[in-house]
Amino acid sequence: MAIYRRSYASYSGALTPAWSRCLVLFRYCRQNLFRSKLQTGFFVLCFFYPLLCLIGVYLAHNLSFLERLGAARNQFAQIDNRFFFAFVNVQGTLAFLLTAFTGPGLISPDIANGSLPLYFCRPFSRAEYVLGKSSVLAILLSYITWIPGLVLFAVQASLAGAGWTWDHLWIAGSLVLSFWIWIAILSLLAMALSAWVKWRVVAGALLLAVLFFGAGFAQAINGVMRTESGHFFNISYLIATIWKTLFRMDVDLPISATEASVALLIYCAVCLLLLLRKVRAYEVVQ
Amino acid sequence: MTRPGLPRIDLGQINSVVRLEMKKILFARRGIWIYVLALLPLVLFTAYDFQASREQARRRQIANQSQRPLTYQDLLTVKSGMTNQEVIALLGRPALNFHWREQRAQGPDSFTDVAHERYHYSDGSNDLFVELSDGKVTDANIQTGNSLGEDSIVFASVFQFFYLRLAIFFGCLGIFMNLFRGEILDKSLHFYFLSPIRREALMIGKFLAGLLATCAIFLTSEFLQIAVFLWHFSPTVRDLYLYHNHGLEDSAAYLGVTALACLGYGAFFLVAGMLFRNPILPAAAILIWEAVNPFLPTLLKQFSIIYYLKSLCPVNIPSPPGTPPLLSLLISNSDPVAAPVAILGVFIMATLALYVSSLQVRRMEINYTSE
Repeated sequence: MAIYRRSYASYSGALTPAWSRCLVLFRYCRQNLFRSKLQTGFFVLCFFYPLLCLIGVYLAHNLSFLERLGAARNQFAQIDNRFFFAFVNVQGTLAFLLTAFTGPGLISPDIANGSLPLYFCRPFSRAEYVLGKSSVLAILLSYITWIPGLVLFAVQASLAGAGWTWDHLWIAGSLVLSFWIWIAILSLLAMALSAWVKWRVVAGALLLAVLFFGAGFAQAINGVMRTESGHFFNISYLIATIWKTLFRMDVDLPISATEASVALLIYCAVCLLLLLRKVRAYEVVQ
Repeated sequence: MTRPGLPRIDLGQINSVVRLEMKKILFARRGIWIYVLALLPLVLFTAYDFQASREQARRRQIANQSQRPLTYQDLLTVKSGMTNQEVIALLGRPALNFHWREQRAQGPDSFTDVAHERYHYSDGSNDLFVELSDGKVTDANIQTGNSLGEDSIVFASVFQFFYLRLAIFFGCLGIFMNLFRGEILDKSLHFYFLSPIRREALMIGKFLAGLLATCAIFLTSEFLQIAVFLWHFSPTVRDLYLYHNHGLEDSAAYLGVTALACLGYGAFFLVAGMLFRNPILPAAAILIWEAVNPFLPTLLKQFSIIYYLKSLCPVNIPSPPGTPPLLSLLISNSDPVAAPVAILGVFIMATLALYVSSLQVRRMEINYTSE
């Protein structure tokens, strides 16, 4: 049909409520996430450790049965803050790797193909766009981090009884808070890199480089300047400091959790600034 | 022998590819971060140089303000339990003297005044802090200044653990993986493939361009690092280090290891760029393989670049006391190979990687839509 014959009319159907518009992005991005077999395989792999922990919790409460099978009592881990701290470390590492695979593909295709104006010509703000894109990572990472963590805590609580649950309720809070901080940092870092590096694969490699290189540079600063301030360049060290404090681990920390939190907040603010600078309805091409 | 229908490998063509690629690598905006990687240690050493120079000036000033010139042996004579008179008799009046009074509780209602003093002496290179309480020395703490021996170990550890394993590693990753993968993402590789040039020649040209660019960037940075590292020492100490304590040989070794690292990692990442679409996987795999190298059996160790490079590093880094055994193993160079074997090892590894690249480039097919 020739275009002049078509009579255009404004859309008169039902509108998505303003509060849930950002989730539209999540719905469409989710479909692309599991197209890669490698990515799907890795996502499944992320559930193996929680499963092992679940078996560990079950075995720790069924020692009499195992002793009858000949296993020694001290072979099984005690379910305490150290157990959950190890869980946070393992799942946190897996969350980082999953972000390295999925995160860079979130914004870079939109910028590379010049499709941001198509988003922003609709009743959709930049904040909603960023929120929508970050919700993809946040929801995906939640599946492998704090949700299995809480399931694990619930199973342990049901087996150990009300006394244990009441005494260790803070662990549940620490689990959720630790993972949410990590998810926020990973999401912002991945999206900032994704927005500034148009090539998806390069953005993924950069994410890997930021963490590894940051750790190396921090050690180099500490070595050369004879200081502990270099740790502020090491994001993984900063988050580990916060986790250790949240899980009440009895270790000496060269920098306090407050200092680490402030440093991470600054990193998040920088990422957000970089993101908002790039996510615009127009682009000046020189 | 050339295959029928294919032109010979022409050095002129390789030269043209090298020139084209060099411009792309050295002047591309997307390559700026590689310069940042190379310059970070230089910034670090410059900051250290500045700090060390200021510290030295401060110590010299304190030494000049002392009643009499002091030596390191003089600073060692102060012991706990000495009176302030004895300290002053030994070292003279201190250049800096802080004093304050503390009201210490003796009972529920009684307090006693305790006089505290802090003397600061310096011999121009080291500091001595003497804490006195009620006229008696409670603590004598010597803070040694920067020594070339200690600094050369710090330099060696920054070189081995930061520059070699991270800066050069990620720099080579960025440059060499980009040689073919970057062209595919830019949808421009077909221009090369349509021109009458053998693919092996193209591959060699691109590799040489990458090697020249990485060597230029990282060797310049390393040379400047060595210069800055030696800057704050007095000319006498510098000459002693360079001409009598193997300083020149060590510097040449650092530059040589840097060039070999560019060659080895470059060859690896060139082949990785052809085999993998996503650089995260090979980068992570090679990074982990190189990191766990000390824990591998001897046979497997030989299939890595860091094994040979570590053997060529001029300064052995000692593990500090109390280091966990696993970390000590990571730091140590348990079974180094002889220098000629190490150099040959890197060349063999690079040749193997380039051979695989030449096989891969011959059967490479472009499908831009799948990227």
